[in-house]
Amino acid sequence: MYYIHKIASITHQDSFNQTDVNDSLVEITEDAVLISPDYKKYILPASLRRLSPILRMAVAAAKECQEAITIPFEAISVGTALGCLTDTEKFLNVINTVEGEILSPTAFIQSTHNTISGLISLELKNHSYNMTHTQNNLSLEMALIDSMLCCDEGKDFVLLGVADEAIDFLNKLKPIVLPENSIVTSGTTFFALSKKKSKSEIGFKACRSIIKAKDIEVDIDLFLRELKIEINEIDRIYTNQNSLDYPKEMVVNYEAYSGLYFTANAFGVHLAHDWLIKEAKKYALIVNSGCNNSLGLILLKNDKA
Amino acid sequence: MSELKEQLKSQIIEQLNLEDLTPADIKNDSPLFGDEGLGLDSIDALEFIVLLDSFYGIKIEDPAAAREIFHSVDSMADFIESKK
Repeated sequence: MYYIHKIASITHQDSFNQTDVNDSLVEITEDAVLISPDYKKYILPASLRRLSPILRMAVAAAKECQEAITIPFEAISVGTALGCLTDTEKFLNVINTVEGEILSPTAFIQSTHNTISGLISLELKNHSYNMTHTQNNLSLEMALIDSMLCCDEGKDFVLLGVADEAIDFLNKLKPIVLPENSIVTSGTTFFALSKKKSKSEIGFKACRSIIKAKDIEVDIDLFLRELKIEINEIDRIYTNQNSLDYPKEMVVNYEAYSGLYFTANAFGVHLAHDWLIKEAKKYALIVNSGCNNSLGLILLKNDKA
Repeated sequence: MSELKEQLKSQIIEQLNLEDLTPADIKNDSPLFGDEGLGLDSIDALEFIVLLDSFYGIKIEDPAAAREIFHSVDSMADFIESKK
């Protein structure tokens, strides 16, 4: 078990520093705005002015996790599907339109995917293992597996996080790549992980990423069978799919609350974590199905239940 | 000249995302770098090089001279005028 000692999410919900994110959930609408903390509490003004929304969100969430555990993380593992899109777009536009020969350095520096984990390292003054995983909608799963391996190697506390941001261009990808009726948006979630038991005693039991899933229900059965768990032991499923063949009362679509970004399943984990505490239930499964039939499965367990 | 200085201040605010400042907050003779002035750093110096190139078509040929040129709005305006 890899216990969750702290979760911090910045989404369209009141999810930053809340005891139970489920308390004030509202379905997302087209005009919903991100509920952000006061970033000046987390980032010095001189740095803040250069940071795009994704960097501000990720640093604030990471610092909140660091504050909760007080001792430095021994590894930082970040998942992001599309990276720092705002700066990437800005930099590409400059390349396309600039008449001189010199390009603006800031957008270039901050346009790479690993800017997020690198900046967190600088802001936390943490020079430990630092890795970025970018595997489309399976980025959380890959970063989580890396975090688990770090814990298995003996690292005490690991910072695991995801962040993705939306730009207007993504809406042009509807309906070819993205669902027509989806609300494309941004979000971040960070976790402080350790093999040491947390107060809640809830943690990641297992994770599986499947590149080409043939049948979601069959793959879920196989995943659970390997863990010697029956599907009827699962108390709730958090998913981005509407067509799963399970009783409606046990399925929650997290995208209805987070909107669509490729690492929104981390917000599904946040919802599941808080629900397991509140209801004193044992298992929650996060089912993340993406383009090209990729499938991510994450099992959360509550040791107290 | 004063029009150029006001224009420069607006461009500096825009280019460096100095969200909390207005042109009136930047004094013509105050240092732009270091703790005494706006607290700008080396990345901002690179942004200034881009600013001079893209808005005024001026290239800094001697990097050593940049420290003097970018000292204040006054010194930047003097440099731009000298290149006209």
